Amino acid sequence: MAQAAVRPPGVSAADFKAALQAFAEAVGPDWVLVSELDRNTYLDAFAPGDADSHAPSAAVAPHSAQEVQAIVKIANRYRIPLWPVSTGRNLAYGGSAPVLRGSVVLDLKRMNRVLEIDEQLGYALVEPGVSFFDLFDALQTAGGKLWISTPAPGWGSVIGNALEHGLGYTPYGVHADTICGMEVVLPNGDLVRTGMGAAQGSKEWQTFKYGYGPVWDGLFTQSNFGVVTKMGVWLMPQPEAVAYVGVSLPNADELPLMVDTLRPLRLNDTINATYTIVNPFRSIVDGYSMQGKSRPDIYQGRDSIPLALVLKELAAQGKAPWNATFNLFDRDKGLDLRLAAIQEAFERIPGAKVQTRRWHRGQPLEQWMRVQPGLFALGIVDWYGGPGGHMNFAPVVAPIGKRVADLYESIYARFVEFGIDYYCGLLNVGARGLLLNAVMFFNRNDDDLMRRGRELYKVLAREATASGFGDYRAHISFMDEAADMYTFNGHALRHLNERMKDALDPQGVLAPGKQGIWPRALRDRKGRA
Amino acid sequence: MSRSKSLLSLASVTLALTMGVTSAAEPSLTPQQQQGRHLYNHLCVYCHSPGVWGTNRLSKRMDEEHAVLENRTELSAGAIQTIVRKGIGSMPPLRKSELSDSDLSAIAAYLARQNR
Repeated sequence: MAQAAVRPPGVSAADFKAALQAFAEAVGPDWVLVSELDRNTYLDAFAPGDADSHAPSAAVAPHSAQEVQAIVKIANRYRIPLWPVSTGRNLAYGGSAPVLRGSVVLDLKRMNRVLEIDEQLGYALVEPGVSFFDLFDALQTAGGKLWISTPAPGWGSVIGNALEHGLGYTPYGVHADTICGMEVVLPNGDLVRTGMGAAQGSKEWQTFKYGYGPVWDGLFTQSNFGVVTKMGVWLMPQPEAVAYVGVSLPNADELPLMVDTLRPLRLNDTINATYTIVNPFRSIVDGYSMQGKSRPDIYQGRDSIPLALVLKELAAQGKAPWNATFNLFDRDKGLDLRLAAIQEAFERIPGAKVQTRRWHRGQPLEQWMRVQPGLFALGIVDWYGGPGGHMNFAPVVAPIGKRVADLYESIYARFVEFGIDYYCGLLNVGARGLLLNAVMFFNRNDDDLMRRGRELYKVLAREATASGFGDYRAHISFMDEAADMYTFNGHALRHLNERMKDALDPQGVLAPGKQGIWPRALRDRKGRA
Repeated sequence: MSRSKSLLSLASVTLALTMGVTSAAEPSLTPQQQQGRHLYNHLCVYCHSPGVWGTNRLSKRMDEEHAVLENRTELSAGAIQTIVRKGIGSMPPLRKSELSDSDLSAIAAYLARQNR
């Protein structure tokens, strides 16, 4: 076995070699990946800076929960930090790269079985390596009666995306809400099942979330308390019909009006899926990327594209400054009622437009329905020219027009100050929360642009903290900053997370630093990632 | 591999067909190239079929027909394998856990079949 060029911190060369040998005995030598070529495939492909600062020392790819157990026990023996990834496509958040340089990536992609599909009860039981493509295909093959909810890129893991609180665009779009029952390898190698799965022989594992006693599933999302090796996911029965709705408002200052008009429609479930409010700049980028165009086709300046230019370009394209899109899922008659209510709400706004189209069961799926996974959205990463990348700042804000607009404008001012184009979408999470997703694109050959992006994130996080906002998800380089935003009572939540970490993972082997949760032995590394 | 995995393979071809990718039998293909075509339709078409991201990027450097990888006539198997493992531009590398060396060789053999 080749000698690794990067080692886990605090681990001797001899111990690391012994650990790799033990991993090889557990999973087979082909699945302990330590060559430079293999290790580089685990670097952050969209790193907003030097990817080597998060370089793994090796990867180990098990094929079963039992192999995961063996790996975790070996890691404890040699104090090897493990970084579990499902498909490793969490791009913009670090991909498959660890927070702590030198960690060994625990690559779960080979665990890619769709273990069960139940069309009667509307669920699937999957392993972490199952992508949205895989599950979509399996459901189609099974008869197509169930639909997935997929995020924009379809190569991500169904489990990983739900664990990271990802979103889709159907009534099942809050993916963490669709989790029902997990199998988890704990940091000491123990295997547990949550919910009804804790009852040996239960056939209700994927039908009732709560079991008896505390509900643990949430503790294994956005955390480092266990490795999820199986998960139940609830799936939507194929509806009779789907309607696309696109609404637009004609004036650049009408974001609050858009938010306040959509809110009651979502709250009473007239809009029964995720909506996306698109800012003027994003309308330009999305349109250009579909045509294979990028920034130099509209602007060559080093500063942020002026809003006046964006609005002028939108007008030339016959588009309005503020747009929102969403889909409705129902029977045909139900869609008629929903659309009538939406039309009525927007008719009160001068210049507002509502566009619709419809799909009926039996027709081919269309891209606008966003129920068939793809990779179309990735085209936007080359906005600044390739090789591209992006990272996000996405604070949670309630859908109250003025509150949203104030936050939107304060972030916008900083984007302008740092000379970065303000690509922003606002997505509802359920009826009462919005993510204001401000995206920082960069060209990975442009060190200055990436530096400005990193500094911008820190400034935004600091300012939003002062106003009581918190980011919902963060890149591996900023997990400490995101955790620091949750300040109540002297960061009491972080202290609770740390107590939990130390109790479950006393050796601190599982994903040190994930979500800003550091084990006792490595707590001095906080903020150094 | 489980039943579901074999079913996945069938469905992926169906999916590729719905995306406009040619999948008609080419009698001149070797068994390895046929496997490569199948894998290409499962893994690569999302970025390399007509009108999507990878093809759009490549069309900046060549005519539209040859921006579709399947239509290229100068690709070597070795170059394809290197690009897939190392990534290029905004295309991230594919790891062995998601694409084995033998499967990658099959894709490379398929894409290099028209190499002149």
